[in-house]
Amino acid sequence: MQSRVLLPCALAVGLGSVAAVQAEPAKSDVLDTYADIAAAKFEDSLISARALQDAVNTLIATPSAEALQAAKAAWIAARVPYQQSEVYRFGNAIVDDWEGKVNAWPLDEGLIDYVDASYGGPSDENAFSVLNVVANASFALSGDPVDAAQITPVLLAETLHEADGIEANVATGYHAVEFLLWGQDLNGHGPGAGGRPWTDYAPGAACTGGNCDRRAEYLRAATDLLVSDLDWMAAQWVDGGAARAQLMTDETAGIAAILTGMGSLSYGEQAGERMRLGLMLNDPEEEHDCFSDNTHNSHYYNGIGIQNVYLGEYVRIDGTLVSGPSLSDLVTATDPALDTEMRGALSTTVMALGRIKTAAEAGFAYDMMLERGNTAGEALIMGGVEGLIDQTRSIERVVAVLGADAIEFEGSDSLDNPSAVFE
Amino acid sequence: MLRRLAALLVLGVVPASAETSDISAILDGHVMPGYQTLAAQAEGLASAAQEDCRPDAPGLRTAYHAAFDAWVGVSHLRFGPSETEDRAFALAFWPDSRGATPRAVRDLIVQSDPVADTLAGFQTVSIAARGFYALEFMLFDPAFVQAGEGAYRCGLVQVMSADIAANAQAILTGWEGGYADLMRQAGANETFRDRNEAIRQIFTALSTGLEFTAQTRLGRPMGTFERPRPMRAEARRSGRSLRHVMLSLLATRDLTALLSDGDPDLDAAFARALDLAERMDDPVFAGVSTPQGRFEVEALQSAIDDIRRKVAQDLGPRLGIAAGFNALDGD
Repeated sequence: MQSRVLLPCALAVGLGSVAAVQAEPAKSDVLDTYADIAAAKFEDSLISARALQDAVNTLIATPSAEALQAAKAAWIAARVPYQQSEVYRFGNAIVDDWEGKVNAWPLDEGLIDYVDASYGGPSDENAFSVLNVVANASFALSGDPVDAAQITPVLLAETLHEADGIEANVATGYHAVEFLLWGQDLNGHGPGAGGRPWTDYAPGAACTGGNCDRRAEYLRAATDLLVSDLDWMAAQWVDGGAARAQLMTDETAGIAAILTGMGSLSYGEQAGERMRLGLMLNDPEEEHDCFSDNTHNSHYYNGIGIQNVYLGEYVRIDGTLVSGPSLSDLVTATDPALDTEMRGALSTTVMALGRIKTAAEAGFAYDMMLERGNTAGEALIMGGVEGLIDQTRSIERVVAVLGADAIEFEGSDSLDNPSAVFE
Repeated sequence: MLRRLAALLVLGVVPASAETSDISAILDGHVMPGYQTLAAQAEGLASAAQEDCRPDAPGLRTAYHAAFDAWVGVSHLRFGPSETEDRAFALAFWPDSRGATPRAVRDLIVQSDPVADTLAGFQTVSIAARGFYALEFMLFDPAFVQAGEGAYRCGLVQVMSADIAANAQAILTGWEGGYADLMRQAGANETFRDRNEAIRQIFTALSTGLEFTAQTRLGRPMGTFERPRPMRAEARRSGRSLRHVMLSLLATRDLTALLSDGDPDLDAAFARALDLAERMDDPVFAGVSTPQGRFEVEALQSAIDDIRRKVAQDLGPRLGIAAGFNALDGD
């Protein structure tokens, strides 16, 4: 209601063109679009994970080089919608609390299966970094005996995942499946992904790496779990779902949630933890999708996800468009120059991330970009980092202009009562 | 002006009768002296390493502690010149949850990697092998003070110290050579489009610094009740863990006083936390594994959380700003 009254004010401040002026959308409509896009992204993630599940089942039933390749291709495809969904994570506790099950990273993969000698033994930080569940049907974990004769989703989720309270003990999710499909990437800073042979899933005497049946059992359990976890999250965003309901309880808090998700993923997570840190450490192990060498896509689709949430337009995996009143519309009605700035910053980032993707697809692998002294690689990655940092400044300006910072004054949930946030 | 007013009305927010913080006073009384001290002490460290590079040389150790103290005093001011060219990352890579520092330093020593022969070469190596935390291994870890060849180790200690000095000087030069003026002249440049943006940057640094001290400096060694992690304490090899908490509290107290115009309530909250820290007899938080030791560290952490709450919910609204995004927002 207030927005209509104020529209003349917005006109009075002298916009460049009258055509640019839009009626301010209702915040509830902006939140609806945001929730609709979440529902679509998580449903797409679920659909593509089911395709991965089919391919994995084929690999296990009839192992072959072709079947392994088909499973890898399905995994790569499944990452496209999922990475775009990550912008929902930091603004929505229901997503953040769940995320560790499906996308935990980095991992000490020796927990799961055999690793190269160069990987090393148990570390100060993690006594279970070479546990190798595939090879061991029973073992002790923090003093308690564990029966792993059957490798089940329950064993992975409730016993092995984050074993001993160590986050690097990742037993479930995309990256566990990725490791089981590709194996370790032993090429260092050279091109090439992990080279696990299909015979790691072969029956009888053809089996390489040992325990092929248990490895297959692990792969099936991890993939099934991924599908069921995504199924659960997709259900939270449909009409009547808990995530959608939470988002709608307070409109300003809902708008703040969108911006928090955009800013936190841009700055602390992607620019910092995922991109700049790996570059500063010159460490190919710091690649986000390190087994599959898919990191360039992982970064790119994160950037696309941030952009499409702001614009309120998401292209689904079947090509259909989900769109509606957007945060961009809301900003335009208040401060069109800031909307232009925000759009420009998001586009610049996507362009910079696109350069990394293009170079990687043309043969300049992300591993190579991270190498000490590789100035071209450093420039490519820093281009993405700087774009993300720059867009964060614009996001902060949007927060201020929309008054979404008032939420902050009401208290940080994590400070006041961590468990009360999403009751 | 109209536009801003409209925005506030649309959202039903009462225009904040924001208190004014004096940006120049913060720069001249807090930021610049902090980075000047760091540059001077880091230069002293580089000289001491040149004079005597032995890990137990008293002059070197004294200079190391003095320079590290100076760093902790500005470690909350992570914006602008400190973030350019990875300078602050290369001064202080911690926490190191994957053991990258010992691995990277060991690799250099084992291979007698000639990249460390020159400062320019060394500045291309992984940040994990640079800065105060890498140098701590060289000076205080028994496995490192005797590893590889003595001459190489000596050169490494010297180049690490020289790198710290160069980075500290580069940050100071960045502040003196323009960045401080950008903040003073907020509103007349694109970095800070108005005063509020400059104040928000400083406020974000304050709240991030407090968060880091509570959640990382204390939270990491605390672990969980069932699984305390004393070996994760910051700079435990040089016995500095608690000292860092105290130094960072002193520095953020100083900044808070400048931002809040000497608010007595906030200052009292800092005094309570510092009093708890001073009464602790546990320099590296080894006690987190015992009920009494853990109780003390938890009490200190909740005292700092109390400061954080006041800063976010009391000081922020009075200044009319909220903290921006920070590096701890991710995982």
